[in-house]
Amino acid sequence: MTKAKKKDASLKAPLKTRLRQDLKYIRRHPAMYLMVVPGLTVLLIHKFIPYYGILIAFKDYNIFAGKNPLDAIGASEWVGTYWFEKLFSGRDFMKVLKNTLIINFSKILWIFPIPILCAIMLNEIERKTYKRLVQTVIYVPHFFSWVIVYGIFLSLLATSGVVNELLIALGFNKINFFTNTEVFRGILVFTEGWKSIGHTAIVYLAAITGLDMELFDAARVDGAGRLKQIWHITLPGILPSIVLMLILKVGHILDHGFEQVLLFYNSTVYEVADIIQTYVYRQGIGRMEFSYSAALGLFNSVVAFILIVGANAISKKTLHRSIW
Amino acid sequence: MKNHSRRSSGPPRGKQDKLVTACSYLIMTVMGLLCLLPCLHVVSKAFSSNTAVTLGEVYFWPNGWQTDALKYVLLQTDYLNALKNSVIVTIIGVVCSMVITVLFAYPLSEPQFRGRRLLTLLCMVAMVFSGGMVPTYMVFRSLGFLNTYKALIIPHLLSIFNLLIVRNSFEGLPDGVKESARIDGAGDFQVLTTIVCPMSKPVLATVSMLYAVNYWNSYFDAALYITNDKLKTIQVYLKNVTADINAVSEALKSMTGKTIHTDGMIACAVTLTVIPIIMVYPFVQRYMVQGITIGSEKG
Repeated sequence: MTKAKKKDASLKAPLKTRLRQDLKYIRRHPAMYLMVVPGLTVLLIHKFIPYYGILIAFKDYNIFAGKNPLDAIGASEWVGTYWFEKLFSGRDFMKVLKNTLIINFSKILWIFPIPILCAIMLNEIERKTYKRLVQTVIYVPHFFSWVIVYGIFLSLLATSGVVNELLIALGFNKINFFTNTEVFRGILVFTEGWKSIGHTAIVYLAAITGLDMELFDAARVDGAGRLKQIWHITLPGILPSIVLMLILKVGHILDHGFEQVLLFYNSTVYEVADIIQTYVYRQGIGRMEFSYSAALGLFNSVVAFILIVGANAISKKTLHRSIW
Repeated sequence: MKNHSRRSSGPPRGKQDKLVTACSYLIMTVMGLLCLLPCLHVVSKAFSSNTAVTLGEVYFWPNGWQTDALKYVLLQTDYLNALKNSVIVTIIGVVCSMVITVLFAYPLSEPQFRGRRLLTLLCMVAMVFSGGMVPTYMVFRSLGFLNTYKALIIPHLLSIFNLLIVRNSFEGLPDGVKESARIDGAGDFQVLTTIVCPMSKPVLATVSMLYAVNYWNSYFDAALYITNDKLKTIQVYLKNVTADINAVSEALKSMTGKTIHTDGMIACAVTLTVIPIIMVYPFVQRYMVQGITIGSEKG
């Protein structure tokens, strides 16, 4: 923070002096500028050149119009907002937008409170070895890729899998989980929780262990029980972390869960599971509707951008903490 | 996590307190089991006999020990080749990522560095605004990255999140040591390699782990940019095996005359993909927990 202020002060100097100082610094420290070259190159290739590719959404893009796909962008004809009009008037857009919002809101609704409770309960466990054991175990699924999580649940939820065996034993009918439109979103929410709860719980646990221990001691002297301590000290103490996490989740409501859905879904559940990015992938890469899906992709990027920047502004205002 | 039990010590006093503690033990044990048992079940299935799998009589321990299916999946499918690809991509990727990240983070951490604000802004833009799947695909296709390791490495080469972690850690180092090295005539590069990096070892270790997990677990890049079977990574391999499990099962039958239920075959493939992670998990877990603490402190 102090460093940033120093910098601010130097900015107030007249332009000429500043430029002279800049040049002097650059001449003295060429290595510093060489160091940023590799990183900038990566950003250029993977982030900034693709920005030029956004033009695809405003053109009737023909991938073979030029020497290579990038060159073809320039050679393709402008069509203005044609693809956006087509997109917004079509039925698919509303469907995938709705699915994206429903799936990601349900995830927040069902999963969000659980890691907070887990962290508080983990903190209540007094035997250190046992606490560490539980931590280690609930943290493992976070390391599994979505493909592995998919494989595990494919095995558990198969028609002859252990979950269906259990359903039959309890007197229910078998469910074909992966093709049933009624339960499919439930699977997405559940597996998301299975993969992420342990990790998020440990994030909160780190926040709890950062709290001032004397507060707890003082409360105990005043005769406050565990529940009162949790309610009056722990929860308010980690509230900033909770709010920050919630803001982040809402900020990513449009661009979350792509790999998961891509792996779990199939054509029988498109109606309830197809989200913006899976749709972009199928239409764009699969069916080569490049311009149409680039338009949807751009819509997605812009709204996601607004949401994230907005979320950060809220976080800065309320918590005085930036997400990044 | 050491000495992190910050609560009151001594036994719980009231009835209510006892109940809270008991519930915590109970619920957290259930949570642990919910995470552990699915994995145990799948691994057990991989080692169970065909009859047991078909009849659904496998729970959390192998029933009727056999390893034929596992051997078949290990040796006769693309598993070893996919494993090799994933290992290569992860190792090359982590080394390149760390070099790029450290080099980029150092100037950004120096308050005197001219251009710091502009570069930081560029990083922020890159982080929050994506060109989108189709444009990125076109760039990779134009540059000839399709069906090369490059397509698997470049998307994860520089994580802005990791860059900020490293930058913040560099910023936190005491200025004095760097200053005295500079007075002794060390150049910027020397200061970075001989002073700054050795002093930031724990953070660098953590960040390499974060990168390694990214590379190892990435599925979509391989699915999007790679069509050559020889270059498939372990994640794509597992997805493909589960998709064509009937064909794999048939092949096993025609080769060995043994029938293994497709569920058992899927379990074998999952088990083989999980094993490398479980094997390195004890070694990396410490760094990952550190990563969380660093992540929550930054900002």
